[in-house]
Amino acid sequence: MSHAEQASEVSEQHGLTVRQYLMIGAALTVITIIELAVSYSDLGSAMVPILLALSAVKFVVVVAYFMHLRFDSALFTRMFVGSFLLALAILVALVSLFWADSHTLPLK
Amino acid sequence: MATVAGTLARPANVGVWSWITTVDHKRIGVLYGITAFTFLLWGGIQALLIRTQLAVPNGTVIDAERFNQLFTMHALTMIFLAVMPLGAAFFNFLTPLMIGARDVAFPRLNALSYWVYLGGGLILTSSFFWDAPSAGWFNYVPLSGQTYTSDLGIDFYVVGLLTLGTSSLMAALNFTVTIINMRAPGLTMMRLPVFVWMTLIISFLLVLALPPLTVGLIQLLFDRNFDTHFFVPEAGGDPILWQHLFWVFGHPEVYILILPAMGIVSEVLPVFARKPLFGYPAVVFAGVAIAFLGWAVWSHHMFTTGMGTVPRTVFATNTMIIAVPTGIKIFNWIGTLYGGSIRFTTAMLFSIAFIVTFTIGGISGVMHASPPIDGQHQDSYFVVAHIHYVLFGGAVMGIFSGIYFWFPKMTGRFLSEGLGKLHFWLMFIGMNMTFFPMHFLGLAGMPRRIYTYDQGLDWGFWNMFATIGSYVIGISIIVFVINFFRSMRQPKTAPNNPWDAATLEWATTSPPPEHDFDVVPTVRARDPLWYDRDHGIEAPEPTGEHIHMPPPSYYPILMASGVALLGIGVLSHLALTALGAVVIIYSIWGWALEPTD
Amino acid sequence: MAHATAGHAPAHHRTNTGTDNRKLLMWFFLGSECLFFGSLIATYLIFKGDSVVGPFPHDHAGEKGILDIPVTSTSTFVLLMSSVTMVLAVYGAQHGLQKMMKLSLLATILLGITFLGFQTYEFRTFGHEGLNLGTNIFGATFFVMTGFHGTHVGVGVIYLSSLLLASFRRSGLGPEAGFHVETAGLYWHFVDIVWIVIFTVVYLIPT
Repeated sequence: MSHAEQASEVSEQHGLTVRQYLMIGAALTVITIIELAVSYSDLGSAMVPILLALSAVKFVVVVAYFMHLRFDSALFTRMFVGSFLLALAILVALVSLFWADSHTLPLK
Repeated sequence: MATVAGTLARPANVGVWSWITTVDHKRIGVLYGITAFTFLLWGGIQALLIRTQLAVPNGTVIDAERFNQLFTMHALTMIFLAVMPLGAAFFNFLTPLMIGARDVAFPRLNALSYWVYLGGGLILTSSFFWDAPSAGWFNYVPLSGQTYTSDLGIDFYVVGLLTLGTSSLMAALNFTVTIINMRAPGLTMMRLPVFVWMTLIISFLLVLALPPLTVGLIQLLFDRNFDTHFFVPEAGGDPILWQHLFWVFGHPEVYILILPAMGIVSEVLPVFARKPLFGYPAVVFAGVAIAFLGWAVWSHHMFTTGMGTVPRTVFATNTMIIAVPTGIKIFNWIGTLYGGSIRFTTAMLFSIAFIVTFTIGGISGVMHASPPIDGQHQDSYFVVAHIHYVLFGGAVMGIFSGIYFWFPKMTGRFLSEGLGKLHFWLMFIGMNMTFFPMHFLGLAGMPRRIYTYDQGLDWGFWNMFATIGSYVIGISIIVFVINFFRSMRQPKTAPNNPWDAATLEWATTSPPPEHDFDVVPTVRARDPLWYDRDHGIEAPEPTGEHIHMPPPSYYPILMASGVALLGIGVLSHLALTALGAVVIIYSIWGWALEPTD
Repeated sequence: MAHATAGHAPAHHRTNTGTDNRKLLMWFFLGSECLFFGSLIATYLIFKGDSVVGPFPHDHAGEKGILDIPVTSTSTFVLLMSSVTMVLAVYGAQHGLQKMMKLSLLATILLGITFLGFQTYEFRTFGHEGLNLGTNIFGATFFVMTGFHGTHVGVGVIYLSSLLLASFRRSGLGPEAGFHVETAGLYWHFVDIVWIVIFTVVYLIPT
């Protein structure tokens, strides 16, 4: 158990500096502006994947750095990411089941 | 630390107030057990009324409206107020003892879970004074919508289940953390008793399965009371969404009901076969696999809604695959018995009966996995037979096995083996008499949930047979209650380890002291007490050090009353909901500032 | 600390995994919240474009969409900035910088209230333009989903305000101040990432 305890000792000291946090805040703002620009532009079918990818980046950055998951116990990552992936899988399954009725998904 | 608000002077271990303010996991387990057993009796009375009505063709004991309420409330009572909390009673009492801890990770949160459960149970049950829910336990729209059921019953259903869900969520979070973080030295995950593993698994399932139901309930509440149209197709909604959200929760819920019983059986069989559980890792991983696959099968409850070939195939295949880990468990239990030196105690009889009846229910379950067969069985008594073979023949048999097994540990007294065996045989025979004929009735075309049937349909004989069986079950429960009260009048004679069991709860006194263990045990092997016995390792002497236990608190029950007010307000006047919110915030503040040292 | 402890006393060095029980509980609770908002967002996506009558969210058949993207982008920015001030509050609490912690907490609370103000304004405007819970399926899914997100922000505001009030006691937030603020921060950031997803799914992606 000793190395787990050691890890927690270290993790409490970890984290970023104020300057780095501000930089991340600025980066998140920039990504949001890019998202807005994309949503007003005319990128056709590429638009939705780009928007989803950009918001995924923001999501990961907040979780990893603001919520310290990057520096904290891997147990937290497993609990949260596992739950998140389950939520995502159920969301995709539900949406596919319904869109198969009204849209053109080839499930029939 | 002087007496501050919420903290009570000690010792305060007797009297009603000590029970109201207790944060001791054992006392909370007992509270869960007594409350859940009371609800079990109430659910049983509902079942007997249903069976009495159906005993003969054109029965006139109760009318159709009351019948609808009874079969709905029978299911809700048994599932949410009896079987789940009986599982909770066991994992509250046993988990800290089995992992060598002095309490759960969050003792006050544990008390809060119980009081919220009690509040939710009372709200749901009190619906009989107004309008009881009458749209079946899965409460499909549009029947449960305002158009077809305009009385308060469905709102009681929504509020009751939201409240009970809150309770289960808090308990499940608490036990997840407890099992992951509070094990005794040497007790690695792969040395955990199987019952603790199953507790961990159902905790995961509860934490992740309750939110979709919560969302569905909220949408139903809004559709009924706030003019939305989530489930109304004319306005762009879709009633099938309710079915999906319900069963995304509902199927993991089935495993939440059965896994504690599987854990109990996995503890009882090795002790009375006097050999270690056969294939421990296989049993554990089969449990994990069941829980994992349990997420990908929910639509098998909805084959007849017309989902298209691909979804039907996927859900049918996943459902059939679940039979594999379930089968692994069954073979491991049989392997445990094989070559063992078996003691046929009452607990053992219930566990063996569990294997038999659960297997029957499991096999009819695999039959439903095939969409064409499911189409024939849907909404017939065949399905009723299936659910009762797994829930009664499975979960309830397992729970009674656990009651006989751990009764000496919980009370210091033994239940009578003579009366116990009478209880067992009456219950086993009665259960099969009641539910086996339902297979025939279902295949003969009798639909579930009809309040009566006509003379010429030839369903009369087996219905009368099933009704007689249900009365035999009722008698067996009376035998158990007599056994319970007789035993409670006996002196406390149980030694620490009367059955020569292997797990840590048997290392302490019967009943255990408030702090569970004088010295936190060290675990050296998977069956720690057998290992220590065989290697001549003596229990360590108490060092007499001061053991700090968390003080009692009245904030849990105060906060639970706030949660109950939230719900009651939704059913009556929103001012009560606001009052509930104030009570909750006040309780959280008091809770946070209350000293726990 | 000479005697043995039970329950959640500051025993996180003694847990099997070296993690604090309360933090583990918060992380797993947030995992549960993923399923909660996942189900709400799934409902929104399932019914996306299924409204029978207007107002519609985005421009539709010559009719102008009801969503005001510039205003909501501003409120999104406000919530994003509240995450920055939140992380500074955690930094202050963990490094014993009382003033930084209190000021950052205050800023986070005010930004959170500002976000709720924007949401109230948006809901009222929609109401005036004829979009209510019962108008169409967009109204139902939109108000319930964003309403529950707003409720979470409100709970967060109460949570952080309680911490800020407690920090003015003589003993402050006690020896575990950094821990308490960090746990509150986990909740606050989670509410922010939910909004990141909702903003993209509802506002940015057209019909």
